[in-house]
This record gives sequence, C-alpha cells and structure tokens, in this order.
Amino acid sequence: MTSPVAWRPRLDRSSVADRRVLLPVLLLLVLGVMVLADRAGRPEAVSLPNPDREPLSQWNAALAALPSRPLVLVGMDPDLGTYPEIRAVTRAVLADLAREGARLAFISFTPDGRAVAAAELARLRNQLVLDAGFVAGAEAGLVLAVSDPLPDGATGAVAEAVADRGGGMAAFDAVLIVGGSDFGPRPWVEQVGPRIPDLPLLAIAPSFTYPELAPYLRTGQLKALLATVRDGAAYVSQSAGQPPLSAGTMPDQPPPALAMLAGMLVALVVVVRGLVTRGPRAGEADAPDEGDAS
Amino acid sequence: MSGFFDAGPAGTVATWVAALVTVGVWAYAVGERRIFRLAQYLLAGLATGYLVLLAVRDVLLPRLVEPLLADPTGNLLLWPALALVLALAAARWLPRPVVAVPVAALVAATAAFALGGAVVGTVLPQAAAAVVRPGTDAGGLVNGALALAITVLVLVAFVHGVPRGRLLGGAASAGRIALLGGIGGWLGFLVVSRLSLLVDRVDFLLFDWLGLTR
Repeated sequence: MTSPVAWRPRLDRSSVADRRVLLPVLLLLVLGVMVLADRAGRPEAVSLPNPDREPLSQWNAALAALPSRPLVLVGMDPDLGTYPEIRAVTRAVLADLAREGARLAFISFTPDGRAVAAAELARLRNQLVLDAGFVAGAEAGLVLAVSDPLPDGATGAVAEAVADRGGGMAAFDAVLIVGGSDFGPRPWVEQVGPRIPDLPLLAIAPSFTYPELAPYLRTGQLKALLATVRDGAAYVSQSAGQPPLSAGTMPDQPPPALAMLAGMLVALVVVVRGLVTRGPRAGEADAPDEGDAS
Repeated sequence: MSGFFDAGPAGTVATWVAALVTVGVWAYAVGERRIFRLAQYLLAGLATGYLVLLAVRDVLLPRLVEPLLADPTGNLLLWPALALVLALAAARWLPRPVVAVPVAALVAATAAFALGGAVVGTVLPQAAAAVVRPGTDAGGLVNGALALAITVLVLVAFVHGVPRGRLLGGAASAGRIALLGGIGGWLGFLVVSRLSLLVDRVDFLLFDWLGLTR
C-alpha cells in the first residue's frame, strides 16, 4: 500500500535548479529597470533623502562652527567593500570643504583606506591638500599620530600651517573621519577624544555602523554623523547644483531610490517567507530522497 | 559613477575588467563556481601584493631602513625594532621562544590600546551619559528608565549557572527578546547597507560599462 506522503506534489531537481538560477537573475533585472527608471525620471513620489533634517542640521552646524579656511584632518579609512555606499556623500563633503578653502590633510590607518585615499587624492589634485600617507599599527598608530600626524619631511602650505600651530593633531580645527568596517569612528572617539577633548570629530560611515555610533553622537563625543544612506542622500541633495570641483570630475549620486525600494521589498518578502515557512526550504524538503526513486 | 577610472584607454580597460569580474562574482548566485573562484584568487593575489608593497614602501623603508642607514647611532631604538621584524619574518626557521617575543609585544600592545581606549572612550562616557541627572524633563526620565530597564533585562539574559525562579526566568526571557530586537534593528541597517552596494554595482554596469546616459 502506498503511503500518503508519496502523493505529495514535489519539485524535481531540475526545476529547483531553474528556480535558483531564475531568482537572482530576476532580482538583478528588476534592480536594473528600477535604476534606469529612477535615473531617467527622478520620480518625486519616491525620495531617498531623509525628511528628518536633524542629522543634516547637526552636520551643517558643526561645519559652520569651524573658522574660515579651517585645517581639517581627514581620517580616510573606508574599506573597499562598503565605500560605494558613502562615496557620494564623502565626495560632496570634501568638495564643499575645498570650496570653503579648507586645508585638508589625508591620513589612513588601514591598507584599504590608503587605497581609497589615494584615489580620492587624485580627484582633489588641484586643491590645498596634504597626503599624510599610511600609518601602520591601527589604534597604536592612531595614538602615535596624536602627537605627530604628518610624515617626516612633509612640506607645503598645510604642513607649514600645522607646524606653526605646534605640529600635533591638536593643530587641526576638526577631524573628518570616513570610516568602514575595519577602522571607523570608534577608535578615533576612544583614542583621540580623551587625548584632545576639544577637537571636533565629524564622521561619515556606512549604515550598518549606525547602531554602534549613534550613542557617541548623543554624548557629544562625535559632533556630527552621517551614517545612513538617507542622511547621505540628504547631504548630497543639499550640495546639488554646486559647480564641479575641477575639470573632469563629476558630482557623485546616491543610490537610486526606486531600486533601493524594490530591493527592500524583496528583502521583506524573503524575511516574511522565512517566518511563514519556518522550516527547511521547499526545494530541499521536497527533493526526492535517495532510494525513493521508485 | 565610481569616478575611479579616467577616460583614457587605461580607464576603459579597468572598467571592462571591473565589469567582467563583477559579472563573474555574480555568476556564483546561479551556480557557476569556477569564475567565482578565479575572482577570489585574483582578489587574494592582488590584496597580498598590495599589502606587501604598502608595508615595504610606506612602513619598512621610510620608518625603519632609511633612518637606520642615515644615522645608525642616532636611532638606537630602531635596532631592537629591526630585530623584532627579522624575528617575525624568519618565524618559520626560528625557535618558538624567540618568535614569541615579537608576537607577544604585538598582541599585548594591541590589546592594551584597545582595552584602555574602550574603557576611557566608551564605557565611562556612555555610563555617565546613562545617568539621569536632576532637572531632567519627563521625556528624559522616561528615556533613562527605559534604557536602564532594557540594559538590566539584557544583562539578566546572560546570567547562567544559577537557579532561576519565575521572576528571574521571565526577566531573562524579556531580555532575550530585547536582545533579538536590537539584533533585528542592526540587521535592517545591514540589509540597507548591502543593498546600496548591489544597486551601486548595477548602476556601474549600466552607466559606466554599458555607457547608458543618465
């Protein structure tokens, strides 16, 4: 006698494989169409910039508090995997600082950060920028840089201005931290904050670091923070319309809102489906067992 | 637009390589492992080469070798540093007690800086900020009470090895739920973060590689 289980409808291996191929391709196609639709039409109904302007106001206030032509140390340590998320806002902030006549010095404590810093320095080649290079040792290197952030033999207007003010990290008017998953604003808050309490720390970081960094913003250890895609988009939209920094450089754009919405909907469907099924995936459960071919 | 590649032939080649590697990595999602593995090897090789180059050019030469060559007697502290570097480099052939010295110095220094910074820069200021001060408004009081309650519940959830009564067991369950809520919130940020990277790659393929105009 045949058991009732044998009568269950089931998917064969090829259809499961087809579905596994189809789903990622479909997702990419949907995202591609959404990117095209967004870039072509810029629909007003779906907007990425955060309507809550408080993070942006804090950021603007922190920049406004700086003196004219400020000396800003840029701690450039994003990682290659997450930099695309904050690239647009980082470039917008750097361009705005450069337009205000800020004198920038770039320093990195991670190899990834150094690679990104080198690429961004190439874009800022006509500005008043000093390349302070790579400092090994992560947090130990950061502590070393508190007293001596610039490399031996550094020359130029920025190096002279820093030397005139005593030479240490305290010579800077602010630190702009561009963080990633390996080395973000947290080491700066922990190592530099207690040593130079009056030095304003402003941070740009990927979204997933926001829960870790938000408490530092509340305590004032970070003066301003742009750590969500929407806050970054809000800053970029605020800076939109500014002339390009130099010939050949185009203003960057945040991720298209429609594509982000479509992706989030897909993610929600996946989560809800996982909650509803709460068991092994259908394809695995229904795959024929060994010896069940008959 | 990533803006990392210029408009010349080198930029065109770099864009094509980046696009093909992107498609190769995505091929893993549809079951094609060989191209993905090739991309992995490429990444590992490039990263290793880059790290070696960075270590030699930006650290060892300017901060160790050049100062020693320029003034061997004036930089006495660099001699032990050189010995430690050599001990690490030759770790394979040296006795373990010799190699243990630079490794211990490395681990101890890293841990000391990290732990000291965490206490002075995070634990103490955050604990101070969590204290509800006199004169705080009603909203601040509610926030403080909620933060305190959630912190206590989550800490109770980690209490193991002691008999739990009904009250402690309930508090531990509530703490676990609060903990899961926090992890869920963090996961949401992570999804948004990763999604923006995927969308950026699609954007790159459509506009930088295929040349569609915005």
